[in-house]
Amino acid sequence: MPATETSPLTKGYQPVTWNFKLLAHDMLGGFGGMGEGMSVQIAPDGRRIIWLAHESAPKNFTAVDVSDPRKPKVVCQTDLPHANMRSNSLETCGNMMAVAYQTSKKDLQPAGFELFDISKPEAPKSISFFDCSGPTSRGVHQLWFCDGEYVHCASGSRDFVPTNPSDDQFYRCIDVRNPSKPVEVGRWWMPGTRQGDNVMPPTRHPIDKGFRAHNTNVYPQRPDRCYLAYIDGGMFVLDISDKANPKKVSRWTNSPPYTGFMHTIVPLFDRGLMLVTDESTENNAKDWPKLIWVLDAREETNLVPISTCPLPDHTIYAKAGRFGAHNIHENVPLPTAWQNDQIVLGTFFNGGLRAYDISNPYQPKEVGIFMPPAPPGAPTGTIQMNDVFVDERAVVYAVDRHIGGLYILEMDF
Amino acid sequence: MLDLFPSRDSGPFGRRLKRERGARLPVTVVTGFLGAGKTTLLRRFLASPEGQGTAVIINEFGAVGIDDALVRDSAEETVLLGNGCVCCITRTDLQAALRRLVFDRERGTVPPFSRVMIETSGLADPGPILQTFSTDRALGGEFHIDVVLTVVDAVNGEAALDTAAEARKQIILADRLVISKTDLASPATVEQLTRRLQQLNPRAVIDIAIAGALDPQRIIQPAMNERGGFVAEAEHDDGIASFAITRETPIEWLTFARAMETLIALRGADLLRAKGILNIAGCRGPVVVQYVQHLAHPPVELEDWPDSNRDSRTVFITRNISEESVRDLFAAVESLAAP
Repeated sequence: MPATETSPLTKGYQPVTWNFKLLAHDMLGGFGGMGEGMSVQIAPDGRRIIWLAHESAPKNFTAVDVSDPRKPKVVCQTDLPHANMRSNSLETCGNMMAVAYQTSKKDLQPAGFELFDISKPEAPKSISFFDCSGPTSRGVHQLWFCDGEYVHCASGSRDFVPTNPSDDQFYRCIDVRNPSKPVEVGRWWMPGTRQGDNVMPPTRHPIDKGFRAHNTNVYPQRPDRCYLAYIDGGMFVLDISDKANPKKVSRWTNSPPYTGFMHTIVPLFDRGLMLVTDESTENNAKDWPKLIWVLDAREETNLVPISTCPLPDHTIYAKAGRFGAHNIHENVPLPTAWQNDQIVLGTFFNGGLRAYDISNPYQPKEVGIFMPPAPPGAPTGTIQMNDVFVDERAVVYAVDRHIGGLYILEMDF
Repeated sequence: MLDLFPSRDSGPFGRRLKRERGARLPVTVVTGFLGAGKTTLLRRFLASPEGQGTAVIINEFGAVGIDDALVRDSAEETVLLGNGCVCCITRTDLQAALRRLVFDRERGTVPPFSRVMIETSGLADPGPILQTFSTDRALGGEFHIDVVLTVVDAVNGEAALDTAAEARKQIILADRLVISKTDLASPATVEQLTRRLQQLNPRAVIDIAIAGALDPQRIIQPAMNERGGFVAEAEHDDGIASFAITRETPIEWLTFARAMETLIALRGADLLRAKGILNIAGCRGPVVVQYVQHLAHPPVELEDWPDSNRDSRTVFITRNISEESVRDLFAAVESLAAP
């Protein structure tokens, strides 16, 4: 029987809304298990559409008209070709959208990413598909696409044989300037993770999640840098000034003693800071603490951790589902995304959505919590807040990983 | 810190806030002389939808009985009240009680309250309570006093004001005044009391509680939003005066800060309360300042002005310090700062 709010499993766990105002909640037609792709488009007809990736099959992606954030309306929801795949990540740029396809096993199709024309949000039109499948590949887990020219992604490849099966996805840069014919222009992997490398494979962590790429963020402030999270390998700053030959600038890792799974890097360029997130992947807080780290990045070759965003007492949350850091708002360089270097908004699974004031980066301070009641049918008996995006109006969108769909909020601090 | 990690999104006082309290927990301090009707007002508020998720602290200095069914077992320091509310009685240390409530909330042992009401004892001077919230080192980093509300009994209020200095100070330091028990007093008595209260504290709006009930919004709405908050001119017994200083042109922060530092250094004990909304040169939004005797709240820059008025306005409540002296002090500091 699934846990409920009042069950012993979740004793002490209580919904909280503090300094957020809930504007609307949409269960997305019963398909509210959402992934980590959220992107806002202003459609040619002026409507504001948020495109959402799903955590798992059967749905591919969902588009919601959020022109009035108090009255969201689903305008498009598409299906995947089969159940052994997921489209966990997507990005829009103008009227083009890139969607990542990852299969549950290797050597399945389709594994890669697909480009869509979304000029008519009700009827996305496929432009092309970039194949990343292969005997050792599950395709693309995550992608970054903000300039209309290049897709930076965490992907496997037919010609990439990892030293460990879990290390199958690495950084790839795909030129989509001709969207109907995407072409790979560069790649980089952590030395030792590909068979034939001249260094030893990395030592596995006690909770072994793989030495492979996750987020691949590139910003116009430093178009020559890729901020690459590498799961159990920590994070890398890559020099991509020559896209064909990315080079490591620096690396920072917190594990061991922490438990790996570095997820997202967000540089705050004006401030010389960097936000780094881990992802909690174990139920019942077994991999606690999973944190948002603040790094002094004034010298990019010597990244210095100076603080973490404080987590609440894990014992309250160690009872149902995941608990800990995951996605943060990434200041995606698009006109439809909020740009801010004072507030960090992050999702913490059963810890909900949390906001931190980092005006003093040595002492991040929690300034808001949104931990809604468990959505109906939630398998863990709690919310499992998975991803967050803030549009340029400062409207906050947060999604549940299992069933709860989309929550639309205002910051009130 | 801004020198090391500058940000275009912040001003000289840090992140610009939507409102003065930012993310801090809002606090309403309810004062009033013995038997004025504070507990009745509080109980009605807690029963309203706005009262949901309130932490109540009964600040029981001395052996003052609480004739209230809210608190059934005073041996238990913290009592769950239902409606998501929690109550705690503290006899000595308000700071400790507030810190414990925050800690218990973090641990999930009390409901996730989002507002604090402090009911003081009838004998309490609100000054020390205001000081408790003045600095980050105390509780100013976590809590923010939105309203100081003083309840005055229509029947016995006049007599209390005549005989007790604490009662007068409760009136003078209040943001809002509530007259209770008007059904038990003649209209003439109520009118006379109202005049007396207006004389003591012309800044505060006066509300009438009907059978102990008041619009809950009047209990929690920040007093700063009211126009009267910056209009003050009064002389009282006890040498207490309140006055407002306004200025039409932007002021340099250093000039203002130096003048206030001098005032605090020389006469901090007699600066009972000061609150200002300032047009500081170089700042986009208004800067809100608060002082309680020797202590200064960290200044806060707001995102926007509340209205089209861009004048700097500061209200002072002082003891044996004249308006003229403060004006002269500011003029002297300004002329020295800008030769």
